[in-house]
Amino acid sequence: MKTDISKMRNIGISAHIDSGKTTLTERILFYCKRIHSIHEVRGKDGVGATMDSMELEKERGITIASAATSVNWKGYDINIIDTPGHVDFTIEVERALRVLDGAVLVLCSVAGVQSQSITVDRQMKRYNVPRIAFVNKCDRTGADPLKVKDQLIEKLGHNAVMIQLPIGLEEKHEGIIDLVTMKAVYFRGPDGEDIEITDIPEDLLSDAEEKREEMLDSVSMFSDELMEAMMEESVTEDLIHDAIRKGTLSQELTPVCLGSAYKNKGVQALLDATTRYLPDPTEIKNIALDLDNDENEIVLESTDSKPNVALAFKLEDGQYGQLTYIRVYQGNIKKGSELYNTRSRKKFKVGRLIKMHSDHMEDIVEAEHGDIAALFGVDCASGDTFVQTGLNYSMTSMFVPAPVISLSIAPKDKKAADNMAKALNRFTKEDPTFRTFVDPESNQTIIQGMGELHLEVYVERMKREYDAEVEIGKPQVAYREAISKMAEFNYTHKKQSGGSGQYGRIAGFVEPLEEGEYEFINKIKGGAIPTEYIPACDKGFKSSLSKGSLIGFPIVGVKVTINDGQSHSVDSSDMAFQIAAVGAFRDAYTRAKPVILEPIMKVSIEGPTEFQGNVFGTINQRRGIIISSADEGTFSSVDAEVPLSEMFGFSTNLRSLTQGKAEFSMEFLKYGKVPKGISEELIKDYEEKRRKESGK
Amino acid sequence: MVRSELNERGPLRVFEKSINGGLGKGHIGVLASKKGVGKTACLVHIATDKLFRGRHVIHVSFSQKVDHIINWYEDIFKEIAKKRELENAIDIHDEIIKNRVIMNFNSNGTTIDQVLKSLSAMMTDGNFPADSVIFDGYKLAEATQDDLVKLKSFAKEANIELWFSVSLNGENPTYNKDGIPTVLEEKIKDLDVLITLKYEGDHVHFQVVKDHDNHELKDMTLKLDPKTMLIARDE
Repeated sequence: MKTDISKMRNIGISAHIDSGKTTLTERILFYCKRIHSIHEVRGKDGVGATMDSMELEKERGITIASAATSVNWKGYDINIIDTPGHVDFTIEVERALRVLDGAVLVLCSVAGVQSQSITVDRQMKRYNVPRIAFVNKCDRTGADPLKVKDQLIEKLGHNAVMIQLPIGLEEKHEGIIDLVTMKAVYFRGPDGEDIEITDIPEDLLSDAEEKREEMLDSVSMFSDELMEAMMEESVTEDLIHDAIRKGTLSQELTPVCLGSAYKNKGVQALLDATTRYLPDPTEIKNIALDLDNDENEIVLESTDSKPNVALAFKLEDGQYGQLTYIRVYQGNIKKGSELYNTRSRKKFKVGRLIKMHSDHMEDIVEAEHGDIAALFGVDCASGDTFVQTGLNYSMTSMFVPAPVISLSIAPKDKKAADNMAKALNRFTKEDPTFRTFVDPESNQTIIQGMGELHLEVYVERMKREYDAEVEIGKPQVAYREAISKMAEFNYTHKKQSGGSGQYGRIAGFVEPLEEGEYEFINKIKGGAIPTEYIPACDKGFKSSLSKGSLIGFPIVGVKVTINDGQSHSVDSSDMAFQIAAVGAFRDAYTRAKPVILEPIMKVSIEGPTEFQGNVFGTINQRRGIIISSADEGTFSSVDAEVPLSEMFGFSTNLRSLTQGKAEFSMEFLKYGKVPKGISEELIKDYEEKRRKESGK
Repeated sequence: MVRSELNERGPLRVFEKSINGGLGKGHIGVLASKKGVGKTACLVHIATDKLFRGRHVIHVSFSQKVDHIINWYEDIFKEIAKKRELENAIDIHDEIIKNRVIMNFNSNGTTIDQVLKSLSAMMTDGNFPADSVIFDGYKLAEATQDDLVKLKSFAKEANIELWFSVSLNGENPTYNKDGIPTVLEEKIKDLDVLITLKYEGDHVHFQVVKDHDNHELKDMTLKLDPKTMLIARDE
């Protein structure tokens, strides 16, 4: 079956946690007739929403992984990529954003644009994703969708335009007014599936007319035809839809829909807007990098006549083995054909090819360009690019931040040990910000990630999904060491007693490097050190950086310049110069006034203004710097920079300080100098630890 | 140039000299001009000067986003560092930025009580030892007598100085015979320092209209450099 690609949509539903995204997704699946009954996210019946595939997500009521689900709405094939809403999982969000062509930004009509919405919106901007907004929870006390629209304009800089108005708010929320058709739309029946379209109630008519004028004024900027029609008073619905679509695709307009997913209001109208205004795969420019040609950018063409290019954006462990979700960018991928993984440089055969629906999977023989599908039993990692043999493209590499926190884990028993290994193998493939290794000194398994919650979630998943119970150690911050001053060195390594000797002298200086981790400059003239030994010097210095002498953490930001030295015709060797470089660095390091750096997090806290003092206080106690605060009457927010080492247990602390009414988000910002007192303590602890170890 | 030298010789010393050694703690100062003359730039320069001298500043604003205020500080710092060839500029920047907090309030309907309550919370709970508070965009001209009394007693109790900017409406705002903008006439008794900014030819001139209890007003030999938006000597 050939699908009409203009009727294909790859959309994401992206939102702040608790703005009702999962409920909305689930309602969409319901109305698309793919599932048969509605369950609540935190359901009493224990069934839970369909998209939250993992146990843990069900319990927490949040969505962690992005699963892709295909639905059909009025002849349109919509692939819904469910994106997680918590900032600790942003890598998942970013990966999902990579493969979608448009998004629905869900906002709570009471809380409006919150810090997380800002983060998510910024990511969408980065990936040029056209958006429409859905103001959810219009049935809640304090609902004010027009305020949320204003916040979209003010806080997010969107050209947001209401294309609907509410009929009643809070408990009186009954339906919507469609400002394009100028009709009232009610959602009747137990599940809101019976749509009743009537004239606009009289008391709302003048407001609706005014808002329609406003909408037409904004929208007509994108269509000359509409503008002409407005002057001739011959505006048609199609003209308006076209203009809204143009504006949305250019990302210069954000149409705003509203409703209440929980009360079954407005979801069908949102689906109509999704198919009308969001782009089909051919309308989005996708770029790959040609690995054979200096990573030159190649614009991919969404057509079946071009060789295959696809991106693996999500791995999932199913009962039948590993499932790899792919987005096909170019060419059609056929069952039985051969693909090439440009990262692992391995060829593989496309075995089972499927499409995931919310309640079942469908075997397909071909995944068309633009579509999303899943492969069975392919050994790969998330983010890998699959191409037809002959090409060597990679989809743009996604920005992967370095982990800032680590935790030691130990299995409770033998069975747990085996399962833990399996789980870790899986998680590291799924999530590039999650890393694991065995510390050679302590022989402990260490996991690393982007925050406390990030690691907590994986520890829980190990227990639930892999039956691997582990004991966790104290979280450890990823400190760094750096030098703060220039220091010279002139070091001789000499061992010439008996047998073949070793000899090498290196002179030069080290200095702080503002950007980057390490730089090596060779300014040796006249062959004081023969050219053949220079790489060994470089290697020696580089190896010295892996562990600083202050607290044993890696050293960053060092520029080494060598300008003199001496060699011996018989006793000099690569080894001798490498050892000399290590010695030279050790010698210069103390004189270069080394300092300890710690990860500093950008923390945003939001909550009722009455608790502002408590929030200021706790930031202050945690060595944080308040950058700004914003007071909006009863609600206020604070932006601060706080060292990660001081953020442990913050969520519990914040909850008790604010009666659970505040929330926060946190992301890595930069490395900053550790204050003197604390750095002395860290050094003392490190020395003690080393003494203990050597005493053993 | 090193930091101490910059502090000793900056144009802000001229500024302070002409208002009797500075505004002083417990006092209220106002910069008034019509829109678009450069009040915010001046306030940010005044604040940055205090930061350079190790003081703590709270910047109170009434806009939608704080990004542009942060940008003002970044720009003013960069211009100063460039103009005075400041040594260790990055370290100094990181150090002084810790002593600045921006507090933003909704422009509609925020009462002075709310603002003062938040300021107190920042200074006591947040343990932020503010020396000066900069109010940019607060409609002082529309404040009631009661509000002014509250501001004044807050400044006294907290032992801080308060700087305000006041926008004068229209292309040609009116002034009385003493040079006081008409909208501030009733409030002048509660203000300790009032400086007006006016275009004179191609640059902006500073005029001291009130200087504490001092009746012999000195001329401010300062101007606003239209390119860098820095306060500079008018020579």
